[in-house]
Amino acid sequence: MNTPQNQVPQDTEKLKEIPKWTRRYAQNRTLTNLANMVILTLVAMVIGASSYLGGLAFVRGNMILVWVCMGVLFGSLICLFIVSVPKFGGIKIWRWTDRRIYGQEGITAIPEPELMKKKKWLGYVVGMVFMICVMGTVFLGFKGYFAIKYMQPVSALYVVPFLVFLYFWQRPKVGPLMLLWPILYTIHAILIVAGAPILFTGNLTGFNMFLPTFGYGFLTFTIGHFYSRYALKKLKDIAHLDGGSPSGV
Amino acid sequence: MEFDKIIHEPARLRIMMILNGLEQADFNFLLTTLNLTRGNLSRHVEKLESAGYLSVKKSFSGKIPNTSYQLTQKGSKALAQYWENLDAVRNGPIQPLTK
Repeated sequence: MNTPQNQVPQDTEKLKEIPKWTRRYAQNRTLTNLANMVILTLVAMVIGASSYLGGLAFVRGNMILVWVCMGVLFGSLICLFIVSVPKFGGIKIWRWTDRRIYGQEGITAIPEPELMKKKKWLGYVVGMVFMICVMGTVFLGFKGYFAIKYMQPVSALYVVPFLVFLYFWQRPKVGPLMLLWPILYTIHAILIVAGAPILFTGNLTGFNMFLPTFGYGFLTFTIGHFYSRYALKKLKDIAHLDGGSPSGV
Repeated sequence: MEFDKIIHEPARLRIMMILNGLEQADFNFLLTTLNLTRGNLSRHVEKLESAGYLSVKKSFSGKIPNTSYQLTQKGSKALAQYWENLDAVRNGPIQPLTK
C-alpha cells in the first residue's frame, strides 16, 4: 500500500542533527583565531622588545638605536591597531587567514549576534576597560603594590570576566568550548593563591603571565579545531550522498 | 497529507538542513559535505532558488568568484512545515496517500 509513511526517510532522526553538527563545525574553526592570536602576540612582543631596547639605548646614549626602536615601536603600534580593530582591517585579516586555513572545506558563516549588531560600542568600551586594567595591573605590579608572582591571580579578576564577556558577546559565532580558556585561567589563579608549585622564577618569570594567556588560548583553540574535525566527520556521515544523487529535476 | 516535493528530495533536504544551521555557506562547502557532483549540486540549488527557498550571493575572493547560499524566510518556514508534516505522519495512523 502506498502510504505517506512509506515516503518518510529512514534516517529522520539523524537528518535532524544536520544543523547542530553544521553549526558546531562552523563555530569551532578556531585555527583562524589561533593564527590571529599568534600575530597579536608577535606584535606585542615587538612592542615590548623595542621599548626595552630603546630604553637601554637611551641610557647608553646610542641615539641612532633609540630612533630605530622608536620607529619600530610606532610601526608595531599601528600594526596592533590594524590587527585588533575589526573596522580598520582586523576583519579583513581574519577573513584572509580563514580562507587560507579552511578554504578547501568551503566558507561558512554564522549569523552575527543581535547584541553585537545593535550595540557595537559596547565591544569597544569593554575593550578599552580591559586595556586600562592591563596597564593598571602592570603599573601597580612594578610599583610593588603586590608581589609579581600574584600578577596572574590579580589579572584573573578582569581577564576571566573579559573572556566570559567575549563568549557571550560573540555567541552563537563561537561555541561553549571557548569557555575553557577562562576556566583554565581561573584554575591557574586559584592554584597560585593556594601555593601550588607552578610558578616560574628567575629569567622565566614572564612565563607566569605568558602561559595562562597564550598557552591556555593556544590549548583552547587547538581543542576547538580538533572538535571541528569531529563535527565535520559527524556531519559528513549524516549528509554524504553516495555517488551523487539524481539530477534533481 | 503530502510532503513538499521540492524539499523531500534527499539532496535538497540536506542542503536545506545545512543552511538551516548557518547564516550562509558557499558552493564548495555544500559540495564537499554532500559528496555531490558540481552539476547535480547546481541543479538542486537552482531548483531551491526558483522555489524561493534559497537566496544566492555572488562575490569575489580576490580574483576567485564565490557563490554563497542563504536560506530565505520562506525556505525556513517551508522546512519547518516539512518536518511538522513528517513527524505527524511518523507518529500518526497509517493512511493511504491523498492525491
